Amino acid sequence: MLWKDNYEIGVPQIDEQHKELFRRVESFLQVLRSQVSWEEKVQKVNETLEFMKGYVVEHFRDEEEYQKSVGYPGFEAHKQIHTGMVDYVLEFSKQYEQSNHDEQLIQQFGGKLLAWLINHVAAEDQRIANYARKKGDELK
Amino acid sequence: MKDQIFKAYFDATQKVFNLMLNISEISAHPSEDFKCDDEVDIAIGITGDLQGKVIYRFPVATSLNIVNTMSGMQFDAVDAFVTSAVSEIANIISGNVLSALSENNMDCDILPPVQCSLDDDKEYGINTSCRIDTAIGEVCLEIRLNRAA
Ligand SMILES: [Fe+2]
Ligand SMILES: [Fe+2]
Repeated sequence: MLWKDNYEIGVPQIDEQHKELFRRVESFLQVLRSQVSWEEKVQKVNETLEFMKGYVVEHFRDEEEYQKSVGYPGFEAHKQIHTGMVDYVLEFSKQYEQSNHDEQLIQQFGGKLLAWLINHVAAEDQRIANYARKKGDELK
Repeated sequence: MKDQIFKAYFDATQKVFNLMLNISEISAHPSEDFKCDDEVDIAIGITGDLQGKVIYRFPVATSLNIVNTMSGMQFDAVDAFVTSAVSEIANIISGNVLSALSENNMDCDILPPVQCSLDDDKEYGINTSCRIDTAIGEVCLEIRLNRAA
């Protein structure tokens, strides 16, 4: 499984969203890498891409809300990373549409998405958790 | 200066391999021993106080191991997916290096990863390379940088 329990940040809503994101990316990759012809997988690939576009934006928004609520000092920088990824996904989708669903393009997208997501959740999102934990300890 | 920059790259590689691939031990060796015919070469350009590029040389076996580890799936050949995934790893390592450099008062930026050849006829004040060994294979770093005038 793509998801690892040590990615949890201890905020149930965010953890659930991360798990859902990993599940979706995993099934996306399974379709993308399956041995059937591109004609057979293109529809499922497109559906997942559409879902992800919406879900990622929703998740980023909720996570940013949480950061604000705990006064996370890295908020602006983190928001910029989110915005950068959303811009990339939208730009990619446009190219992909214009190419009339070119398989090479989406294989490229899949590779980047996999590495980006793991790093973002395992490194960047963990910083929010570390901060909230430290702050919690100080209040004790 | 050269050592400081090399250390920033080594530490960032260690951190990223640890966080993303769960590999905690890596070690640095002279690059003369890096022999590889079939590899994925990714350049990350650098601008700002340092100018030039760093080339990440991932042997095919290392590239496949990285992607297999990340995805839990079986990749047998380098294709657009694999190249893109290891390009992003190079990008992430370089991003970590930027933070380390800015703590040493060097402000730099990076360019998006590109597949490249190793040939380069430019002169560099800092021109060094190093082989890094990990549990899932070797990586070779070619650091080619000048300080901004
Ligand atoms: Fe997140
Ligand atoms: Fe995030």
